[in-house]
Amino acid sequence: MKMEMDSDSGNGILATLDAPRHRHKDRKDGKPAATIDSDSWVDRYGDYLYAFALSRLVDRNAAEDVVQEAFVSALHSMKNFRRDSSEKTWLTSILKHKIQDHFRRKQREEKQQAFETVEDDIQQFFDEKGHWKDGPARWKTNPRMLFEQKDFMRVLYGCMEELSKRVAKTFVLREIEGLATEEICKVLDISATNCWVMLYRARILLRQCLEVNWFEGSPDGVG
Amino acid sequence: MVSESLERKPPFYQRMGIRIHLFMCKFCSRYRKQLLLIKEVLTRYNESDFPKDVFEPLPEKAREKMKHVLNHPEEEDSTH
Repeated sequence: MKMEMDSDSGNGILATLDAPRHRHKDRKDGKPAATIDSDSWVDRYGDYLYAFALSRLVDRNAAEDVVQEAFVSALHSMKNFRRDSSEKTWLTSILKHKIQDHFRRKQREEKQQAFETVEDDIQQFFDEKGHWKDGPARWKTNPRMLFEQKDFMRVLYGCMEELSKRVAKTFVLREIEGLATEEICKVLDISATNCWVMLYRARILLRQCLEVNWFEGSPDGVG
Repeated sequence: MVSESLERKPPFYQRMGIRIHLFMCKFCSRYRKQLLLIKEVLTRYNESDFPKDVFEPLPEKAREKMKHVLNHPEEEDSTH
């Protein structure tokens, strides 16, 4: 699963003159623009942009789609690229817009549920009186260290992948994009109650998944 | 209710009820702390220049497809 990242040049030169493929875009002032090596774009930035997209969208197909859209869009708007930022930064900002577009797009889903309900998989946590049956264990951890641990983040995103697409989307919009609940309702075109139920599902299932897959396994993880 | 209280401020009597319950119920108290932890971790991770190799690399098939699309912009892409 480990992958080797190409080191990023940081400054992002546009193209090398002896690259195999070239596409010329003439500038309005008549001077020939720098050549673009789009193959090199994909090789140099593909992994980074894909990872970024996955961190927001979780779903692989969606992530591939938005990365491709970002590259195509970048190609069409080369004239807008000012060299005060690096290529990577510029491409990332285009990607961010494509991600936002994706969130707002009406999804054709396999199972179009009218609303999410508190299903059996949630009910199992509580007894008839609504009290915790097998309650949360104590997590011995330093929160400030966790986000720097790649293995933890892999487990967390792995757990997010287990959620249904709609639930995961709601959760990401709330906890990563920082949208208020009302805005989420608008974006997803759902009621406030539905939104709340989906967030509730996301939180309770994610918490459980993390406990089982991370905290219970680590030496001083659970108290 | 704890999850909902993270969304909007409940009325006063409910807040007091929740506060008392959290004081007495170790499970709900832990639950709330853990939800906040998850949120904090995700926020920090996505705000920082996070290590992208948490995720798999771009699959080869997708990579080739993108190169093809970029090199043949005249072809209408009908992936959607």
